Amino acid sequence: MNNNIYLYDGTFLNLLNLISFLIKNNIKPLNIVDANYEPTLLDKIINLKITNNLNIITNIKNSWGKEILKVMYYVYLSNEKYKELIIYYFYLNTLKYKTNILNMRNLKCVNSSLKIFKYVNNETHKLKGFIRFQELANHVLYAEIEPTNNCLLLLSAHFKRRLANEFWLIKDIKRNIISIYDKKNYYLISASNLKMNIELNKNELEYEDLWCTFYNTIGIKERRNDKLRLNFMPKKYWKHILEVSDKNEKSNK
Amino acid sequence: MELKEKLTILADAAKYDASCSSSGSTRQNKGGIGNAAYSGICHSFASDGRCISLLKILLTNCCIYDCKYCLNRKSNNIKRAIFTPEEICSITMNFYRRNYIEGLFLSSGIIKNPDYTMELIIKTITLLRYKYHFNGYIHAKAIPGSSEYLVKKLGTLVDRMSANIELPTEEGLKLLAPNKKETSVTNIMSTIKENRNKRFTPAGSSTQMIIGATNETDLDIMTKSSNMYDNYDLKRVFYSAYIPVNQDKLLPTLKTPPLTREHRLYQADWLLRYYNFKVEDILSNDNPNFNLLIDPKADYALRHLNEFPKEINTSSYYDLLKVPGIGVTSAKRIIKSRKYFKLTFKDLKNMGVVLKRASYFITCNNKYFLNKALFNKEFIENNLVLENHQIPKPSLTQLSLFNE
Ligand code: SF4
Repeated sequence: MNNNIYLYDGTFLNLLNLISFLIKNNIKPLNIVDANYEPTLLDKIINLKITNNLNIITNIKNSWGKEILKVMYYVYLSNEKYKELIIYYFYLNTLKYKTNILNMRNLKCVNSSLKIFKYVNNETHKLKGFIRFQELANHVLYAEIEPTNNCLLLLSAHFKRRLANEFWLIKDIKRNIISIYDKKNYYLISASNLKMNIELNKNELEYEDLWCTFYNTIGIKERRNDKLRLNFMPKKYWKHILEVSDKNEKSNK
Repeated sequence: MELKEKLTILADAAKYDASCSSSGSTRQNKGGIGNAAYSGICHSFASDGRCISLLKILLTNCCIYDCKYCLNRKSNNIKRAIFTPEEICSITMNFYRRNYIEGLFLSSGIIKNPDYTMELIIKTITLLRYKYHFNGYIHAKAIPGSSEYLVKKLGTLVDRMSANIELPTEEGLKLLAPNKKETSVTNIMSTIKENRNKRFTPAGSSTQMIIGATNETDLDIMTKSSNMYDNYDLKRVFYSAYIPVNQDKLLPTLKTPPLTREHRLYQADWLLRYYNFKVEDILSNDNPNFNLLIDPKADYALRHLNEFPKEINTSSYYDLLKVPGIGVTSAKRIIKSRKYFKLTFKDLKNMGVVLKRASYFITCNNKYFLNKALFNKEFIENNLVLENHQIPKPSLTQLSLFNE
């Protein structure tokens, strides 16, 4: 262990390259951070500016399998404070245990990684259902999200398949990134680079009203169960879920 | 009639169907809109906590039959409505594009006759699939009594097709749904089973029973379920606590729907399907109804305490599954991990085991978690009952209704 904090450029590719370099040189970092990190006076931050080996991801996939790569990637997408360090130790132990690593839940880095993996996976799955698009005047579908973890890329892959023949935009307003789909591919860009005019289609409010009507009708009064609903649909998502947002006044009556 | 009013009437009439599952299909998007998600996706949760995945509506609430428990029965004086196929398509497409729903669940009252109703359903779904190129999930109800060729045709269009058995016994059906025959429902199930493949109801079939409208025991109900799972390859049996919508001298008067009983039936159903339990493990003629205070698996463990505690590091998969607090996922993890290291109590938590339930019934490396002197039925039972406090309290009226 040394007392150094190592800097990576924020990408998964660079993180893996840095970790691999540190391990090869027997360096145990105090932490690994990206440019958003706010250093304290005592921090010694080292920028090694590692050149990326572009094959590292394929190599991991070929030697350890897709599942292990996926776990590391999902941890990278998470909002966990020491996620880079967790991935470092997960990587380190995978060198030792190979594909058996996923069964080693008695190791803290494995247990944490799998828990975070599950969390990111669950949140993404939830959002696949909870995202609400609005149709804009130019027929583009537009949605805003504010997830705890960085699910936007995973969600984009889902909607590319599902809404293949629509133009759509999904904006993560917390991270200020936007995913743009042009009926062929999706691109993630900084939302500051996109000037947008959010003018709704003239039919939009009619369908929103129909949906709220459906929502208000489908619950069975005699079975009312607010606790159960909150369990499945945590309050933090409500703001962007039309039928339980402030727009539908009747949803809680 | 305005579309909004129609939707209100026909969603209201459809809401008692418990199924809203959108799982089990791998339909892909071929040059249109939509695809299925194999594990299903919930898009919202209603005020009763139930998942909303599909646009659940009736094509019409007009009906020529007079089932006693049903809001739509002929003798009820209520407002009737009927959707046109185009209206259903338009709502489905517009809801789907906005990601409100995973697809459509279309059911219907019987208008004119069963075949006529089926043809309307088929027409609607054909339009959705071929004119609108909709590849999302569709669950349709087959109308009991309709011709086999129509059932077969519908099967090629949908992901799931189902027919509700409605009541657990033929006598119950005779009493409350005199126009319906059990065979007209089971015939549909057989047709689905015989024809099922990737292009014919890939997500299989399900059915639903109303619980508490007639006087069956839980043993009757579970036996029925178990037979239907075996004979018709059903994906799910849904249990729907009876909610009085009509006054009728043939119907019981319940103050609240029997929700705890319904919950127990689902738990037991789960044990049959995933835990290798048999009906006779959990119910018998001397013990024909579930204990409302304790879930069926814990109840089983307490009645077979001599088989416990189970040793985590050596018990078989199915033995682990018998332990309250250990589920399918955690049992599989235990089996895999213990090849590499000996599990301790601390590891079990990481495996997802619910220790506050499991700890009474297990040992780890031959160590019992609690004071061994307390390994007795009364102590464990009292503790488990208190653990269960989160379930809705059973109402005494339900308990005594049919026992008198
Ligand atoms: S056939 Fe169906 S809709 Fe008609 S009365 Fe019976 S349960 Fe109700």
